[in-house]
Formats: sequence, C-alpha cells, structure tokens
Amino acid sequence: MAETVFDAVVATHHGEIFRYLRRLSWRASEADDLSQETFLRAYRAWGRLTPDANVRAWLFTIASNVYKNHVRSERRRHAAHATVRATRPELDLDGPEEEAMAGEMRSLTQAAIRRLPLKQRLAFTLRKLHELDYEAIGQSLECSPESARAHVFQALRKIRTTLNGHAMPLTESTR
Amino acid sequence: MTSKPTMCVAIEPDLIAAATGEATPPAAERVDAHVATCAACRDDFARYRAIDHAIGALRSTPTPAGDAEAARQRLIARLADLKSRIVSYRVVPTPLGPILMARSEQGIALLEYLGRDGVSGSRLLQMADVEAHEGGAELESFERELLDYLGGRRTRLDWPLDLRTARSDFQRAVMEATVAVPYGAVSSYTGIAAHLGKPAAVRAVAQALRHNPLPIVVPCHRIVGSGGDLVGYAGPRVDLKEHLLTMEGVPTTPARMPRITRRSLYHYETNPGREYCLPTCGDIARRPIDMLFATREHAEAQGLVPCTFCHPELHPLPA
Repeated sequence: MAETVFDAVVATHHGEIFRYLRRLSWRASEADDLSQETFLRAYRAWGRLTPDANVRAWLFTIASNVYKNHVRSERRRHAAHATVRATRPELDLDGPEEEAMAGEMRSLTQAAIRRLPLKQRLAFTLRKLHELDYEAIGQSLECSPESARAHVFQALRKIRTTLNGHAMPLTESTR
Repeated sequence: MTSKPTMCVAIEPDLIAAATGEATPPAAERVDAHVATCAACRDDFARYRAIDHAIGALRSTPTPAGDAEAARQRLIARLADLKSRIVSYRVVPTPLGPILMARSEQGIALLEYLGRDGVSGSRLLQMADVEAHEGGAELESFERELLDYLGGRRTRLDWPLDLRTARSDFQRAVMEATVAVPYGAVSSYTGIAAHLGKPAAVRAVAQALRHNPLPIVVPCHRIVGSGGDLVGYAGPRVDLKEHLLTMEGVPTTPARMPRITRRSLYHYETNPGREYCLPTCGDIARRPIDMLFATREHAEAQGLVPCTFCHPELHPLPA
C-alpha cells in the first residue's frame, strides 16, 4: 500500500528536510510547522508522483516552495500590520580580528547566509549544506541547472563580500 | 580604486569553484597557475577556502535531536489524521457511463454512476470530514480491473473496501452479506434479510442497498425482489442492473419492470445437504428467492451438490 511506502519516506527523509528548513528558518517552531506542511503536501501529491521520480529532490522542491510561500506571507503580514520588522542579528563587522576565528567564522558565515537573497539562499543551502546536484536544485527552484549554479556562485561572492575585512583562519591548501 | 585585471575577473568563477571543491581538473590547473603569480587572487582563494571550511563545519553541525524528533512525532500524528480523511478519486469512462471511483487509505470507498453534473454532483463532495483529491497511479490498477470486469474479461473484484461510507452498522452488514453473493448468482432482499437473521427487515435491506456506496463491487445488482423483479438500481437505472446480470449469464424477461427468468436458473434454498435444484423441483420456483445460479458450475463452485430428487446433473437446463 502506498501509505506504508510513504511512512518509509517520512522515516528516511524527515530528518534532512527538517534540518533544511531549520537552516532557513529563524525558530525551531517555524521549521516544525514548515516541515509538517511539506510532508502533508507531499502525502496529498504522492499518488501523482511517477515511480521513477527522485523522492529526495521532490521533497526538497516541496520544502523550498513551502518556505518561499511562508516568506511571502510573512512579508505581506509585516507590510499589512506595518509592524517593526523583526530585528535580525547584525553582523559585527568591526569586531576584533581574533574573534573571527573558527567558531566565530562559522557563525559569521551563517549570518551571511541568512542575509542572502531568497533564491540564492535556497540554492546555496541545497548545494552546500545538503549537497544536491545542480539538476535537482534547478528542479527544486524551477530554474535551469546553469541558473542554479549561478545562484550558488553569486551567493559565495556575497558571503565573501559580507565577510570582507574579517580575518579568516588560515587553511591548508586544497591541492 | 583600481579595477581588477581582466585575467583575474575572467578566472574568478573557476577560482571560486576550485576553492569550494567544484572545479573540473583543467579549471583547477588554470587556477593553480594563476594564483602562483597573482597575490590578490591567492588571498581571494584563501578566503574562499576559509568560507568553504566554515560551510563544512555548518554542514556537520547537528540539529538538536529533540527538535527533529518532536517535529517528527507531531507530523506522524497529523499524517494519521489526514490519512483517515483523504480520498483520491478518478472518473472512469465505462460502457455503463462515467463512474467515479474513490479510494481511501483503507480501500475503495465509493463507486458512483455520475449524472449530468459530473463530479460536481458527486456525493463525494457532500461527505463530511473527507478531503478529496483527483488521484492518479494508485487508482490505475483498480480502473483496469473495473474495465476488465465490465468488459466480461474478469469475474471477481477482490478489492479492499472501506465500508465507513456505510450509513449504519446495519447497512454495513447488508453490504457484507451482498458481497458474499457470487458472480452468476442472484439472491433476494428476503434472502439477505434471512441471512442476517432478521427475516422481517426486508424493506430495510432494500433501503440499505438503495444507498449502496459501492455498486458493482458490492453487487447489489444481484439482489432482486422475492418474485424476481429487478426493483430499483442507482435510482431509475434498472437497465444497468439488467445489463450487469445479463453479462453474468443471468437471463431476464423484458417488461415494464424486467424480471429474472427463474425457469432458466438453478435454485437453491438453504438445506442441510446443500443441494441445489432444477426450477421444476417441487414448488421451489414459486417460493421466495433464496439463491439462484446461472449455471451448475456457478452453484457447485459454492460447494453445492445436485439435488438427489430432481437430478440437475442428469437433466441440465439448456445453456
């Protein structure tokens, strides 16, 4: 029965989809709601999925759309109520160099990722944190694999620019 | 402010790709050669490498296990609720007209001859607590089997059924008793009422089958009046009942109210020896219908044996 198979899909993919949405969201409760929405939508569409479909990429597609809709409705809500926008953690770009090491570098990078434009942030997160290939990312974000690659490239440039002026821990050469 | 040399601008995509582990070997070699001679790009390369390291650390940072597990538990609860309410449906074009077929988690929940209003007039849309979605692959095998059945290429529909669409426990019991009437056989409302141990509930049985949510698969077309009249089917569609019975080899006599031709059918009335008879055996053809069979094979497939008085095996009815 399809339901048993879907239960296995939840068991296999929920953790990763939750992590993806947790990385995009500001709060754990937000990721909780969005991951539920993702899987309930997936369940409704499950019967229309072709047998040879890449289930993981398909779930990322749904999760990305759920997140995009969520961002849109949040924007509308903020505009409608003209409330003060939630204060997001600002980057301390003038901090002393020694603080920008290791752990600090990680949280700065995380903050820089959060400041990326939506599409770049999704493409970047899918590629660099969940290691999807560009074909799957293009499918998830409804663009070509080349555009997906360009989004990731632009994201890296932006992160680099945001972190400009910060000392970075030295790393060994790649090759 | 000085602008970047053309070469540095041109190599930037490869440089980013090389620093983040995505460059092809030739591109990586080009970057190697360039950074060996360009201090600014060497610095850039080191910065992208540092970013890549930080990303690697982020990738391996675990989400608090409690958060994910709590979210999964809440999802499972909501999925269970959705699964109990969701049905997928499709409209199957059949020789008997369009039939809406709906399936829930438990099984086929509704078969409905659609009228002029199509899906918008379906009882599916009037059912409370049901979330209906037009379905696909999961209904294909059922559709194929239904078409095979209506095309005479299949005699059984062994489907899991969701009887929650029944209006009452009594209707559910009537439906279950009706499912037990096999292909090529006919019973009566009286027969079903007796089978349920409620011989006086003949009208209630007829009423329960009038609202049968699963015609064809719960074969209410095989249930006739105690005299053999094809009373009622899908509203005024007695013609459909006649069609389905004819397809199963059960002959009918045309009239304003068509009736099955009892003299062409083998008769069975509950008896300890499980014997079936010719219609000419005693006054059996004048008594209320218990069970009739189109052929001896149909009767014997149910474990019945020829009557030792009328000997249907020696004097079979003309085919």
